[in-house]
Amino acid sequence: MSARYAALAVAGLAIALVVAQDVYPFTPLYHTWQYALALAIALAVVLAYANAARRGEDGITGKRLLVAMAGAVIVDVAGLASGLLGPDTGSVIGTPGTVVPVPALGAAAFFAPVDDAALARGSSGVTLRRRNAGEVALAPAGRRVLGESLVYLEPRPAAYVDAFDERGGHLTITQPTNASFLSPVLLFRERQRIGAFDVPFDTFAAPARHRIVRALYFTPRELAQFSHAGAAALAGKDAPALILTAADDAGKPLGITLAASGQSVALGGIRVRATIGTYPALAIAAAPATWALVAGILLFVAGIVWSAIARKPERAGGLGENSVPPRTSQREGDGLGEAGVFAPGTPAPGTLAEQSCTPIVPDAVTGGFASVPTT
Amino acid sequence: MRRLLVIASVMFLSACYNAPDPGSGPSGGGPGSLAGAPAPSFDVVRTDGRPDSLARHRGQVVLVNIWATWCPPCREEMPALQRFARENAANVVVLGIDQGESASVAQAYARERGVTFPILVDEKQQYGRAYAAPGMPVSVVVGRDGRVVNGFDGAMTLEQMRAFVAPALKQPQHGSV
Repeated sequence: MSARYAALAVAGLAIALVVAQDVYPFTPLYHTWQYALALAIALAVVLAYANAARRGEDGITGKRLLVAMAGAVIVDVAGLASGLLGPDTGSVIGTPGTVVPVPALGAAAFFAPVDDAALARGSSGVTLRRRNAGEVALAPAGRRVLGESLVYLEPRPAAYVDAFDERGGHLTITQPTNASFLSPVLLFRERQRIGAFDVPFDTFAAPARHRIVRALYFTPRELAQFSHAGAAALAGKDAPALILTAADDAGKPLGITLAASGQSVALGGIRVRATIGTYPALAIAAAPATWALVAGILLFVAGIVWSAIARKPERAGGLGENSVPPRTSQREGDGLGEAGVFAPGTPAPGTLAEQSCTPIVPDAVTGGFASVPTT
Repeated sequence: MRRLLVIASVMFLSACYNAPDPGSGPSGGGPGSLAGAPAPSFDVVRTDGRPDSLARHRGQVVLVNIWATWCPPCREEMPALQRFARENAANVVVLGIDQGESASVAQAYARERGVTFPILVDEKQQYGRAYAAPGMPVSVVVGRDGRVVNGFDGAMTLEQMRAFVAPALKQPQHGSV
């Protein structure tokens, strides 16, 4: 009995661990050896119980629970397979308007072009183009299961930058250190520690004016901690802002300023306007096969329900496989079985004996009074 | 039971294997990596304010040159590009696409250098991004079918331009869309 409950508990725990891959994806835990070991141990426990149950060591309940154990095995193996063979949890950051190969999905990700307004709304999506398959359009906050992978668009801080010369002429923006040289969209791939803050940053250049600008991204919460009137005012608007620092080609500092989204600020002889918003990164995580999860959980539940039905008569004092069968051999015809049920030889309810108000006294109790001769 | 232990051990050892990373960033590749792909096109304006785009020249061989006035190699390449445009005016459209600058700046430069082929003004730098320009200048030749034939990163000589465009000119004309 305790082995049965232990096996059920372990099976349930294993299923919960595997379902967690779908509910809480993008966690490195699923690729750790500890996770795989836990599922392997659960699998061993479930298989050991199933083997014993198959041999009849846990009666008919155990045999019926084989269905539940089969379901647990399917889910467990699916979880192990996705953890061991599925893609590692990771993000693909693509520049707007570019195509990035994603070998883990056998696909190319097309990151939608974006202008300042779309970036401020955070409405950009990503389209996956797969070999020998159709396109999959991913909307912000949408998630899809593709084979053994779960994909999701993760909004990340971004800024669309315009720069102008002193006469208002538009200047070319370049990102010499980034993958997309001519993109005016900053994706803040790096982080920098400044005092208590660990903030994303990016760098761009205005080569026509020999300026290099570093942009540090601050959330409203971080801005609120600044002892600066401008920062406090921006924090009150509950909007992120950038701290921009400019330098010339030789690295000589030329100025620093705080810039709200859409605000044009003067810096190092140029004007910079940054529209702050979000742009999605393609997050990829391993996911157990959906069919295996559904089928396994259905089997698990069905097996438990079936075994519970098998045990129901037992709790009602019926003929469950664990109840003691009425002893009729020794006291056949005495009217009462040991468990108080009607045994063979007992007058059925509603018969004359019951209706006569005459108690049926077993022979063993009367002790043969009937045979005492009257004098 | 022994069998179960073996299975568990195999799984335990397998857990130590690290699956390959899905790709943590773009592959780069440059303009040449787009060969065979449909050529991206964006609606922009010419220096004279007229709307134009690469797509408007579908059915013709187009040499796209992505450049800017401040870019020294672009400036060095410009005379050769102008000569190539004049030599091949009958069968090749040359489009210079200025990146990120105002129309007035690009127009003044073109006038000063005697550039006669169309200069498109791409303030949002959409062409530069879409053609994965790793620097400037970048040249892309687009076939009559609207697909990229080849890409080149850096300044080209006149001879290089002729060789660069030649494969697109050999493509059958009936394949045009």
